[in-house]
Amino acid sequence: MRIVTRAIPALERPLDRAPDHVWMSPDISLWGWGEAVHFDPGTGPDRIQRIRSGLTDLHTSSEVDDDLGRPGTGLVAFISVTFATNSPGSVALVPRLVVGRAGDDWWMTTVDSSLEPPDPVESRPHPDRARYAGSSVPDVLWLEAVSAAIDEIHRGAYEKIVLARDYAVWSRHPFSPATVLGSLVERFPSCQIFRVADLVGASPEVLVRRRGTRLSSLVLAGSTGSHADAEVDRAAGNALLDSKKDRWEHELAVRSVREALDDLGVTYAAPEGPELLRLDNVQHLATPVTGDAGGHHVLDLVEALHPTAAVGGTPTEIALDAISRLEGMDRGRYAGPVGWADGRGDGDFAIALRCAELSGARARLFAGAGIVEGSLPEAELEETRIKLEAMMGALGAGSGRSR
Amino acid sequence: MDPRDVALRQALAPEEEGSLLTLPQLAEKADLSLPLLEALARQGLLLPRREDPTPRYHLDDAAAIRSGLELVEAGLPLGELLDLARRADEAMRPVAEAAVDAFVRYVSDPVEGTAPSEEEAAARLVEAFEQMLPAARRLVGQHFQALLIADARRRIT
Repeated sequence: MRIVTRAIPALERPLDRAPDHVWMSPDISLWGWGEAVHFDPGTGPDRIQRIRSGLTDLHTSSEVDDDLGRPGTGLVAFISVTFATNSPGSVALVPRLVVGRAGDDWWMTTVDSSLEPPDPVESRPHPDRARYAGSSVPDVLWLEAVSAAIDEIHRGAYEKIVLARDYAVWSRHPFSPATVLGSLVERFPSCQIFRVADLVGASPEVLVRRRGTRLSSLVLAGSTGSHADAEVDRAAGNALLDSKKDRWEHELAVRSVREALDDLGVTYAAPEGPELLRLDNVQHLATPVTGDAGGHHVLDLVEALHPTAAVGGTPTEIALDAISRLEGMDRGRYAGPVGWADGRGDGDFAIALRCAELSGARARLFAGAGIVEGSLPEAELEETRIKLEAMMGALGAGSGRSR
Repeated sequence: MDPRDVALRQALAPEEEGSLLTLPQLAEKADLSLPLLEALARQGLLLPRREDPTPRYHLDDAAAIRSGLELVEAGLPLGELLDLARRADEAMRPVAEAAVDAFVRYVSDPVEGTAPSEEEAAARLVEAFEQMLPAARRLVGQHFQALLIADARRRIT
C-alpha cells in the first residue's frame, strides 16, 4: 500500500461531509472515508494483539510518504473491540482517506488513492424520533439481577460489578450517522465522539492515550448532575466528593488502572485522591494518570487496561464471570475499547459508553451502572433509564409529545 | 382514646393480625418478585398497613402490583412505569392530605357537633368513611381514565 500524508488548509464542517469513521476529541480529530483495509481479528483474549500485529505488518509492508510524522498521520486505523473476549464483532478499519486536525494544524492522508474529501451535504435533522422496540432483558429481570449482585457483594463474592442493559429502537427513516454525530457533538462537546463501523457514541472517559513515550489516562467513576444555580451546583459537587459510596467506586476504578499499569511494568503517577471534573452537565470524580509508555504500543496499553473496573468490576475476573451469569445479554462492542492507532503505535482510546449501534432504521443503545455495597436496584434502573433516554434523544428528533 | 377515633381506626385498618404479611411472605404468597416489592416499598409506592415492629403488608396490595405488571407485560418498561408511579405519587400525596383535611372539617366536625352521643357520632363517622372511600377511589380512577382517553384522542385526530 502507498500511504501519503500532506498538510492541508482547514476543512470546514467535516461532519457535513458524512465521514464513515470519526474520532473527535479536544486534542485531536480524525475523519475517515472509505475502507482500504477491513480487519476482523476474530474472538478470544488475543484479539487486540492480533489487531496490533496486523497494523504493524501493514505499516512495515507499506510505502509511507508522511510529511508531518506526528500522531495521527501516516497509517491510521479506526478500531473498536468487543467488551467480552468471546464476542464477535471487533474490527480495525484503515480508511482510504483520512483528514486530521490537531489545534490549527490540518492534514490529509490517502491510501492507494488520490481522493479528496466529499463536498458538504446539507445537514437536516432526523425527521422522526427514536422509537422503543424492546430490551434484551426485561426490566424486572434486570432489577432482580442487580439485587442478586448486591447480595453477592454483601456476602463478599466481589466488591463491584457493572451491569448494563440495552434498548432496541427503530425509526420511520434510517438513522443518519452524521446527524447523530452532530447531535452528540452539540450535547457532549467535552467528550470523545466516535464512529467506528457504525458504533456511534460520545465517551467522557479516556481509557488511554499514547504520544511517543508518554501515556495518559483519565479515570472517571462516580458522578452527579450539574445545576444552573452555582450554590446548588457546588453543594452537589461537594456531596459527591464526600460520598463514601462514590469515593469507593472511584477508588476501585483507579486501583484497576494502577494494577494494569503495574503488571505492564510502566512508570506512572496519579494523585492520591480524586478531583471534581465538570463535563457537559455532569460532575465526575476524576483521577488523571500520566506516565512513561515504556515503548509499549497503544494497543498493548489497551489490552492491559481493558476491562477497567469502570465497565467490569473488582476483582476483574470474578466480576466478569458474574456479568456473564447475571446480565443476560451480549454487550457487543459496548463498554469495549474504541479509538484509533497509527503505524508508530500512538493513539487514543476511550471506553465505548453512551453509544448506539446503528443499522439502517434500527439501533441498539446501551447503558450501565456500577453496583457496590449500598447500591439500590431501583436507583440503578433509574440511572440507566435516564442514560438511555438521553441517547434516544440524541438519535431522533428529540422529546415532546409522541404519537 | 376517643370512641370516634377507635371506630375510625378500626375502619382504617380492619385486618386481622394474621392477614398482614412481611415483604418476603407477601412475595411468596402472591408469587411476586421480592426485589421488585423491596424496590416499591423503598420508594413509598407500596405502603405498609402496619409499621411496628416490622412493616407488614396486606395481600390486597399485591393486586395493585399485579395491575402494574400487566402494564409491563403489555410493553411498558418497568423503569418508565416506576417513573410514572413516582410522579403520580408526588402529585397525589398533597391531594390526599387535603382530602383528609376536608373530611375532618366538613364531615367529622359537623358529626361531632350534631350527634346526640359519642357512640352515635362514631357510628355516623364510620358509615360516612365507608361510603366515601370507595367513592373517592372511583372518582379519581374515573377522572384519570378520562384524562388518558382525552389525551390519546388529541393525538389521534
